[in-house]
Amino acid sequence: MSTAALVALSKASERAAEDAESYLNTFLNKTLHIHITDGRMFVGQMKCTDNERNIILAMTHEYRQPSKADVQLAADRHERAGRSGNVKVDMKKRFVGLVVVPGQYVTKMEVEG
Amino acid sequence: MPQDGLPEATHELAVKGDEADGSLATAARRLAQEAKQALSFGARGVSDVTEEFAAAAKQLRPGQLVKDEYFTLFEAVGALEIMDPKMDSGYVPPGDTFDADFDVCRGLEAIEIIWIIDELLCLEIAWHDGYPLSQTVFTSLHIDRLLSPDNRKPYTFLYGEVPGVELSDEQQLVHTVLRAYCLGLIKCIQLPLHIVQSQNFYEEEDFVTHLFGQELLEKLKTDDVAKALDDALRCVRNVHLPADVAEAIEARLWFRRQYLAVLLGESSDWSNLITRHEKANSSHELAKPLPAAFSDKVQRQLATSTPPRPMLEVSWTHAYKKWTKLCADMVEADRLTSVWICQSPHCLQRATWAFAYREPQPGTFARAYLQDRLLGSDMIAEDVSHFDLLLTDIRDLVLAGDPLADPASFQIEVPTDPRHLCSRHIGSFMDKAFEEYLNLYRMVCQNRCRIRRTFTQTIPILDSLETVAKETDEELHRISSQRSLPGPEGTPVRLNPLTSWTRYHKISIMAKSIQLGFETDIYLPDELCAMYWLLGTYSLTQSSGLKHIERFLLDRMKTLTKARNSRYVAETLASQDWIRSLVLLWETTRLLAVALANLCGTLMDLDVISPPARSYAQERLLWDARMKPYMTLVHDPVPSIDEFHRTRQGTGDLSTACEAVDQGIKTAKQHLAEVKKMSPQQAKYLGTEEQWARELKQLETTCVALVVQTSQLMKISEKHGKKEARKGDSMREVVEVSLPEPAKRYHLWWVVPQISERKRS
Repeated sequence: MSTAALVALSKASERAAEDAESYLNTFLNKTLHIHITDGRMFVGQMKCTDNERNIILAMTHEYRQPSKADVQLAADRHERAGRSGNVKVDMKKRFVGLVVVPGQYVTKMEVEG
Repeated sequence: MPQDGLPEATHELAVKGDEADGSLATAARRLAQEAKQALSFGARGVSDVTEEFAAAAKQLRPGQLVKDEYFTLFEAVGALEIMDPKMDSGYVPPGDTFDADFDVCRGLEAIEIIWIIDELLCLEIAWHDGYPLSQTVFTSLHIDRLLSPDNRKPYTFLYGEVPGVELSDEQQLVHTVLRAYCLGLIKCIQLPLHIVQSQNFYEEEDFVTHLFGQELLEKLKTDDVAKALDDALRCVRNVHLPADVAEAIEARLWFRRQYLAVLLGESSDWSNLITRHEKANSSHELAKPLPAAFSDKVQRQLATSTPPRPMLEVSWTHAYKKWTKLCADMVEADRLTSVWICQSPHCLQRATWAFAYREPQPGTFARAYLQDRLLGSDMIAEDVSHFDLLLTDIRDLVLAGDPLADPASFQIEVPTDPRHLCSRHIGSFMDKAFEEYLNLYRMVCQNRCRIRRTFTQTIPILDSLETVAKETDEELHRISSQRSLPGPEGTPVRLNPLTSWTRYHKISIMAKSIQLGFETDIYLPDELCAMYWLLGTYSLTQSSGLKHIERFLLDRMKTLTKARNSRYVAETLASQDWIRSLVLLWETTRLLAVALANLCGTLMDLDVISPPARSYAQERLLWDARMKPYMTLVHDPVPSIDEFHRTRQGTGDLSTACEAVDQGIKTAKQHLAEVKKMSPQQAKYLGTEEQWARELKQLETTCVALVVQTSQLMKISEKHGKKEARKGDSMREVVEVSLPEPAKRYHLWWVVPQISERKRS
């Protein structure tokens, strides 16, 4: 490869990196929903990320799917109240504050707004 | 692993449900749909950016960060790493279940109930001791069930459903007895928490108030809890239990019931609580352990920004001691704030200090309880308001037998009457002094390091109050001419009562801030001399101030005897005794401080105590840093380092210095002997007689120790022919000194150097 081609290539990759950076910048302080391998989801404001997709979220809440016991309880209550239609069970939600979600566990990412 | 773990998980759930129960399966299926919807957040405008984000992130250079400009890496260090078992409180290890595997509804043996209750008692006191609820009480699965957001009134282990009537004995013990006990416990967390939070305390140092997102059954009335406990007591009698076991459970239920009663103010019998606890203690060995009823897995559901922490292990013996101590502290807090102590501000001041210096220091709840008793309302006792307390303080110290501070003068409404005019000025001064005055009590209810720190912050406030006092004194003099007496330089001086009063309190706080510095061990060995010298200086200021007040008091006495106003005469006589005792005590402080400054200074001159090697430090800057709390004072400017050096120069050689120490201590001992003869009424130590006697004893022992150490120094120097050693003659080779840590001192505030001969190796 000629030197000129190399320079062009590195310039192109530089540009790509710049584009990537400005794209990622648009997520800062946006509310992200990050799903991870164990089924939990974290909802918080993005503060920081890097090339391994480790993400720091602030003011984060953790969401977890209801357990069997939770579903059972909801179903029982629903039945006892003699109601028909869908049983509603809220996801378990709790505040966890400032967290870093390592990129390796991220399965899905969503952004609000 | 699928991209989104949830649908599969719920699916699995539905399948399992299928085997068990048809309706459950339907419910689960519906739920799966719902959850899917909820997770997609379509309505809230959420868009999937997984691929784009991943691709963009890959473009970054290793180590390159995309971050919010206001977000610092320092903050980032505090972030909890998800999926790290040590950091992520929600992490469930492979093969583990999310919930603890224990059915809280199952019947238990009575002796297992005893164990659970005792374990809860251990964890509850650990919370009082400063551990978070997440590591203590909340780890109980029974408590956790009652606090569950899914639970509802009347709060049972069946999420609010009332268990059937046909319960076995073992089930009754759980659903009636243990439930009632747990409800009682939850209220016994809620009420102390309320008291602590309504008073001053330091979250980081003293106590964790955090509830981790839980609520302490706010909707449940304490009456209902008390009733549940009464029902539980009946239940214990109805089920068939061996007598000793039944008695053991009853003792525990009674303890909870009584504890609730004292917290609710229905009873004030803390000592009865000790008796109840003793009964529980004597039957503790009946308990049969059931560790499965507790689990730190509950932390997975608690709102927390801390890593998971193990459940606390507290031994019963330790917990028992702590409980007894807590109750004893409460008994003492009640006693020290009894009406007859509250009548006298100075007795009450001593009482507050006596409480703070109980060994070991009372915990946060006990200290908050005392604050609540003192400052919870605007009355300090039934017929003593805070205003009365402050006025009595002023009268006792500076205006005994003077109509200026007579409560009757405050009742006069004739606008032209000088008493009315004066009382208005005094009243307005009191308004300004009020908060800081009450702080004199409140600050002492904090932990030891905080007492010192808040004292240093209060000094400038009291200094500016002195300015207000000066102005008010001028006003008083303008309205009704105040008496003047010939001053030390021949010029006439006035009492200036409010200035003298403010100054007395200010200098007291300044001196105590230094003394607490010794107690909390913040001074380096080479600073001892300067700090004792400063303490001596302030003590001198204080005792001359007191003598100034005394002169006017004696003068007032002469007029009063002529006027035959018996109430004023009695008041003045009492004040004379009180001032006398203060002068003696402050003189003792001064003499001790001067003696120690002398001894430590001599040891420094002889190179036995030497400053550490500091490459950049300058003596002047170190001085300024240490004097910071006193630097801004207008009325008592801090002495300069040159002044300190000047006074140190005159101390002469070793034997002269030792001689001076001996002389000073001799006088101090005489003062102590004199003050020892004074009655509790005279020196105002009513209610704290024991502590008073102990304190005087400690001061005497300190005096003796000082003389012993000085003569030891003389002996060694004689042996080596260095009696006339002066600054610059090093005795490092022959003399060795050690400074006792606080616990090993005769008095926490007095560091007497231990001198010995250096053995040649």
